[in-house]
Amino acid sequence: MSTHLVDHDALTELFNIGLHRAAASLSELTGQRIIVELPRLWVCPIEDTQERLRELLEGELATVHQIFMGNMTGDAVLVLEYESASRLAALLTRGDVAMDGRLDQSAREVLTEVGNVILSSCLSAFGDMLRVSVTFAVPRIHVESLDGLLRSLKVKDDEMHYTLLAATRFQLTEGEVGGYLMIAVGLTSLELITKALAAREG
Amino acid sequence: MSRDEPLLSLNDESLALLMELAQVLELGVLTTDRDLVVRHCNQWLAAAAGPEVPDLVGRPLLEAFPQLSGGPAEHALRGALAGSTTIWAHRFHRYFLPLRPAADADSRFHTMQQNARIIPLTRGGRIDGVLVLIQDVTERAAREDLLRDALARAEVASQAKSDFLASMSHELRTPLGAIIGFMDLLESEMVGPVQPLQKQYLGRVKLAAKHLIHIIEEILTFSRVEAGKEPIQPEMVDGAALARSVTELFEPQAVSKQIALNTSLPEGPAMLFTDPTKLRQILINVVGNAMKFTESGSVDVEVSADHERVWFRVVDTGPGMSPTDVERIFDPFTQLDQSLTRSKGGTGLGLPVSRKLAQLLGGDLEVESVVGEGTTFALGLPIVAQPAAVLPPAPSPAPVAD
Repeated sequence: MSTHLVDHDALTELFNIGLHRAAASLSELTGQRIIVELPRLWVCPIEDTQERLRELLEGELATVHQIFMGNMTGDAVLVLEYESASRLAALLTRGDVAMDGRLDQSAREVLTEVGNVILSSCLSAFGDMLRVSVTFAVPRIHVESLDGLLRSLKVKDDEMHYTLLAATRFQLTEGEVGGYLMIAVGLTSLELITKALAAREG
Repeated sequence: MSRDEPLLSLNDESLALLMELAQVLELGVLTTDRDLVVRHCNQWLAAAAGPEVPDLVGRPLLEAFPQLSGGPAEHALRGALAGSTTIWAHRFHRYFLPLRPAADADSRFHTMQQNARIIPLTRGGRIDGVLVLIQDVTERAAREDLLRDALARAEVASQAKSDFLASMSHELRTPLGAIIGFMDLLESEMVGPVQPLQKQYLGRVKLAAKHLIHIIEEILTFSRVEAGKEPIQPEMVDGAALARSVTELFEPQAVSKQIALNTSLPEGPAMLFTDPTKLRQILINVVGNAMKFTESGSVDVEVSADHERVWFRVVDTGPGMSPTDVERIFDPFTQLDQSLTRSKGGTGLGLPVSRKLAQLLGGDLEVESVVGEGTTFALGLPIVAQPAAVLPPAPSPAPVAD
């Protein structure tokens, strides 16, 4: 399947709806105004994602994985460089955790919840808008290399894999942090998304 | 299928196993049916709920804990019935269920501090209820509170130190200004003739006083930057012209030490929007440092620009530094070889101040060095000023009650 068949504008809108919901939840959670933006979106086979991520990310990464199942199946991941992750945790808690730049246990718990909010908001937006049913696993945080991340992406083994990769920017009162949202899906799920988007447009 | 099981699938056997495990784990485990009526609750959780909430099993969870109704906890429970998994981190929520802390827990908490997971349970492919897992983090929360208090106290002490340094330096600088002023007056012979030998001594006194003022200025700048009180006044600056003018200052010294002092500048200007006084101060410090430690060979000052930054590199053929020394070079009050402090002078603040100023201007100062070959300092500043984002100071300790 060619990734050109995916309606990028409609997909961007879907992500924006999800991120808007996530920002509202995070603002409520933290008591500060948070905006989550989507500066860029790519859809590509998983092999190309590896090359692209090598250009975008370096060093150790903090990732929050959330497996999802249903009509749409795959692995959604919030990907932050280690330093960005600790900075985001510090900003969200107003310096309560990760002040020394380390992702200690409390910082990891905070990021797991934040990842859970963002990933479920986006996946729910997909579910609601495309009228597909999605259920989620317990999210897990990992500190890993890019290779480790790519090895760990879980989708159905017997089909071609694709990635919806979105650059995201968290804007808070005291600063901003960039990261990536990656949704790895199999061919069947991507075709479902493509068809649902086309039907919605039609 | 994955390193995480997607959903917790429930049958009588797995449920029995879960509850058996729950009896030995230091973890609260509770399951409900689709109507949020408690189906199972382990001993740990029942004990933590206390006698105020007896006989949890068989009761609707929102009736046993009416505080949960209408709030985020009920939202999470209902979300699980729709397929969502929710994580509650203690840092944001304090607790999911109002449980009693363990008998030996820190007395600052009246309620057990918790992490929680609210997970859908499926049976036969459909969502059949909710699993709630609760972890007691009261002890860790108390430890972190203590650490935060200690950090806040340390920051107050550090601020007091910076304030003390700033005011001391100011008090020292004021009389030194007067000393130099009166020296000038004596030297000018406006108040009477001065013998040649007296003039020579006056010159030495003035030189020493100026050196002292320079050291005090360094301490003042350092304490201002540390206290976050150093203002930035950016304007359009030609980095190449500024580097040239700084290099010219050191030409007499280069001639007397018989060192080649070279510049490699772009043909046109290297414009950037930054604070010229601070950039000049950094370059004087770095070039001065290279001149001080280079006894033969050369000091090269290079300026280049890419689309984001203007780069200033100062390359010397001095003694160089070991990797351990390179790590310490930006630590305040550190001069690598203490004997050099006496022979070369200086407070050991020049480079730390320079790096802090570079960071204040949104850039950084980095160093590479090889023992016996020399040292390169690289200052990269953004073309457009981006003052370093500084995290807010740690908040005052939160109220201890929950």
